[in-house]
Amino acid sequence: MIERLLAPLRSVWESLIERLLFLPPFPETIDSLALFSLLLVVGLLIGEWLHAHLRWPKVIGYVLAGIVFGPSALGWISIEALAQARPIADAALGLLMMEVGRRLDLSWLHRNPELLRSTLADISLSFALIFAFALWLVGLSPAWAAATAAVTMASAPAVVLLTIEESRAQGQVTERIILHTAISSAASFIAFAFVLGVVHAELSEDWLNAVVHPLWVVAGAVLIGGLGAWLALLIARALPKRSLAQVFVLVASALLAVGIARMLAVPVFLTLFLMGVLLAARDRRQTLRYTDLPEGHWLLAIVLFVIVGASLPWQEFTWLAGLQALGLLLVRAAAKAAALAWSGGSLPLPKRLLVGVGIQPLSATAVFMAYEIAGLYPEVGRSALALPLFAAAMMELLGPALCRLALGRSGECGAGEKGGIA
Amino acid sequence: MSGKGLESFKDSAPLSLGVELELQLVSRRDFDLTRGATDLLGSLDYDGRFGEIKLEITESMIEISTQAQRTVDGIAADLAGLRDTLRQHGERNNIGICGGGTHPFHHWPDRRICPGDRFSGLYQRYGYLAKQFTVFGQHIHVGCTSADEAIWLTQALGVHVPAFIALSASSPFVDGVDSFYQSARLNAVSAFPLSGQCPPLNDWPDFCRHFEFLQACGIAQGIKDLYWDVRPKPEFGTVEIRVCDTPLSIEQAIALAAFAQSLARWLLRTRPPLHTDRQAHVARYNKFQACRFGLDAEISDPVGLCQQPLRQTLAPLLEAISEDASALGCLHWLNPLKNQLAEGAGDAAWLRERFQEQGNLNDVVREASERLMR
Repeated sequence: MIERLLAPLRSVWESLIERLLFLPPFPETIDSLALFSLLLVVGLLIGEWLHAHLRWPKVIGYVLAGIVFGPSALGWISIEALAQARPIADAALGLLMMEVGRRLDLSWLHRNPELLRSTLADISLSFALIFAFALWLVGLSPAWAAATAAVTMASAPAVVLLTIEESRAQGQVTERIILHTAISSAASFIAFAFVLGVVHAELSEDWLNAVVHPLWVVAGAVLIGGLGAWLALLIARALPKRSLAQVFVLVASALLAVGIARMLAVPVFLTLFLMGVLLAARDRRQTLRYTDLPEGHWLLAIVLFVIVGASLPWQEFTWLAGLQALGLLLVRAAAKAAALAWSGGSLPLPKRLLVGVGIQPLSATAVFMAYEIAGLYPEVGRSALALPLFAAAMMELLGPALCRLALGRSGECGAGEKGGIA
Repeated sequence: MSGKGLESFKDSAPLSLGVELELQLVSRRDFDLTRGATDLLGSLDYDGRFGEIKLEITESMIEISTQAQRTVDGIAADLAGLRDTLRQHGERNNIGICGGGTHPFHHWPDRRICPGDRFSGLYQRYGYLAKQFTVFGQHIHVGCTSADEAIWLTQALGVHVPAFIALSASSPFVDGVDSFYQSARLNAVSAFPLSGQCPPLNDWPDFCRHFEFLQACGIAQGIKDLYWDVRPKPEFGTVEIRVCDTPLSIEQAIALAAFAQSLARWLLRTRPPLHTDRQAHVARYNKFQACRFGLDAEISDPVGLCQQPLRQTLAPLLEAISEDASALGCLHWLNPLKNQLAEGAGDAAWLRERFQEQGNLNDVVREASERLMR
C-alpha cells in the first residue's frame, strides 16, 4: 500500500535526480529516527485518545496502533521496519525489566510466609495447568507444551509497571501485584532456560545444543547483568544520590547490558531482569535505591508496545487457534485466582482475588520469549508457538484493562488518576 | 463539624496519663509516605491490650493511643507493646513506620483521605487543608478530678506550650527542603480556623458559655472542632496537650509524658498566678519562637515585660518539677530532657545531622524509621 502511495513521488524524484546532482537516490527505507518518531506519534495519539474518551489504559492504545498499522492489517509498518526498530524495543523492554528486577523484594517473602505460599502456588499452578491444557486439550508435544507454559505462566512486567505508574496506585494490592509479577517472571525465565534445552533435545540430534544453549543463556545473562549492575554501582557511588547524573549512569549501564546481550544472543529481558535483581541485592549503601527511571522511559515504552502490537501474528488467526488461546487464558486465570484464594493470609479474600485479576496481563516478555524459542527451529517453532502468541495477542488488549480494573476496585489509584506522560 | 455537643465532664484519677501518637506509614522501597492504613488495620491481629490503633485523616497515617495509666512506666509499657505490634504487622505488609512531625519530602496531593464519615466531612469542610494535615503529633492527656480543675490546668499549661514545642520539635523538613523551623508541623495546624489558644476562662461554667456561644455562631458543634493547643476533653476527664510533634523515638514520647505529668502536678500544687489576659497577647508570638528556634527561642514575658531565653527558663523549671516527678515515680524519665537541654541536641537537630551526613532525605527517613522501631 505504501509503495502505491509513494509511486508518483518516486517517479518525480527519479526524473529530477538526473538534473539535480545533489539529490540522493530515492530512499528505499525509512530512516530509523523518522520511524521511531512515527511509531511514537501514532501510538501516543491512539493511546491518549482511548484514555481520554474511554478511560482505557494507554498501553491498549499503543498495542492497537501497532496492530492497525502493522503487517497484519494496513501494513504501513513493514516486517523490515519492525526489525529495524527492534533495538528500541529491546532498550524499552530492558529498562522496564530492570525496574521489575529492582522491585523483587525477597525479604518480604521472608517476613510474610503467606506471600511465599501464594507466589509458589501461582507459579506452580499456572505452569502445571497451562502445560496440561496444551498437552492434552490442544495436543502439543511435551516439549512445546512446556514451552507454552514457560512463556505464558508469568504476568507481564512491562504492562503491570506502566499501568500502576499511569494510575499512580499505592497500597497492598499494588505491592502484591508487583511482587507476584516479579517472582513469576523469575520462575518463567528459569522455565524458559530449561525449555530451550528440551526443545533442542526434541528437535536436534546433537545433544550439545541441548546442554550448552541453556547454560549460555543463563550464564550470559548473569555475567552481563552482573557487569551492568557492578558498573552502575561503581560509577554511581561517586555521584550525589538521586542526582540526574545517577539517572544517566543507570540508564547508560542498562543500555550497555542490552547491547552486549544483543551481540551475544542472550535474551535481553532475562539479562536486564537479572541486572535489576543484582542492583537491588548488591546496593548495600543505597547508592541507587532511590534513583528512578527518567520520565522519558514512557517514550520508549510507547514504541515497545507499538512494535509488540505490530509483531502479533493476527494474519495467521483461525477460529480454532483463537478458541485454544481463549481456553489457555481461562485456565491461566483460574490457576492464578485459585492460587490467591487458596493461599489465605491477612489480606481479605476479595483483595486477594483483585491481586489475581491484576496479574493477568500477558505481553511483551511472552511475545519475545515465544519468538526466541520459535526462532531456534523456525520450520516447526512458529506453528507450535502460535498458541501462546495468540493468547498474548488477546491479553495485550485485555490485560492492561484487567490490571487497571484491579487497581481501581482496590481503591488504590491516585487522585485524578493521571500519570505517565499525561 | 463534629456532630456531638458538649458532654458533661467525666472526673478521672488525678494526674492519670494517656498518650496518642500519630505515626507515618512509609514505603520500604523509597521511604516516601505510602497509602496503607486501612489494609494495615484490616490485617491487624491484636487484642487491644496496650491501647488502640486507629485510622487518622489520610491513608498514610496511623494513630496509636495508650490505655489510661496512673504512671509513666505504665505508658512506657503500653507504647512499647504498641510499637512491637506495629513492627510485626508493618513487616508483614512491607510498610515502614516512622516518627517525626512531618514527612520530609512527601507530595501532599498524593495523599488519600481515609474512608469514614468523619474524615469525608473534614475533607468537604477544609478542602486541601485536610490533605496537608498529614502531619504527625503527640497528644498527652492528663487526668483531672474536676471540670473546674481542668479549665484551670488548661490555662496554666498554655503558658508552657513553647516548652512542649521545643522539647518535641522533630519537623525541620517540609516538601523536601529545610524549613529553618525546628517544628514546621504547627504551621499546617495553624491554617485551621479554630486552632490556637484557649481564650481566658475562669471555670467550667465559663467554658460552657464560651462553647455555647461558638455553637450559636455555627462555628463549633463538638469539642473535636476546637483545635486548641491545650484543650479540656470532657469525655475522658482530661486536659489534652496537643502541640508536641511525634518524636523520633518512643523514649522521647515517654519523657514528654513524664514532663507533662510532673508539670501538671507542680502547677496544681503551687497554683502560680496565671495572668491569662496578658498571656493571650504573647501566646502566638511565643509559639512562633518555639517552632522557629526550638530551645533557642526568646520567650516574651507579659508580666515582667521582657524577653527571656527559653533555655534559661526551662532548666530551672525542670529542677522545680523534679520533686513532683520523684513523687510520681518518673524522675528518671526527665533525664533525657535535661540532657537534651544541656546538649542542645533534639530530634530536629538529629534529622538535620543525618541529612548532612547522607545527602538525601530518603536515607534520613529510613534511619528515622529504624530508630523508632528499635
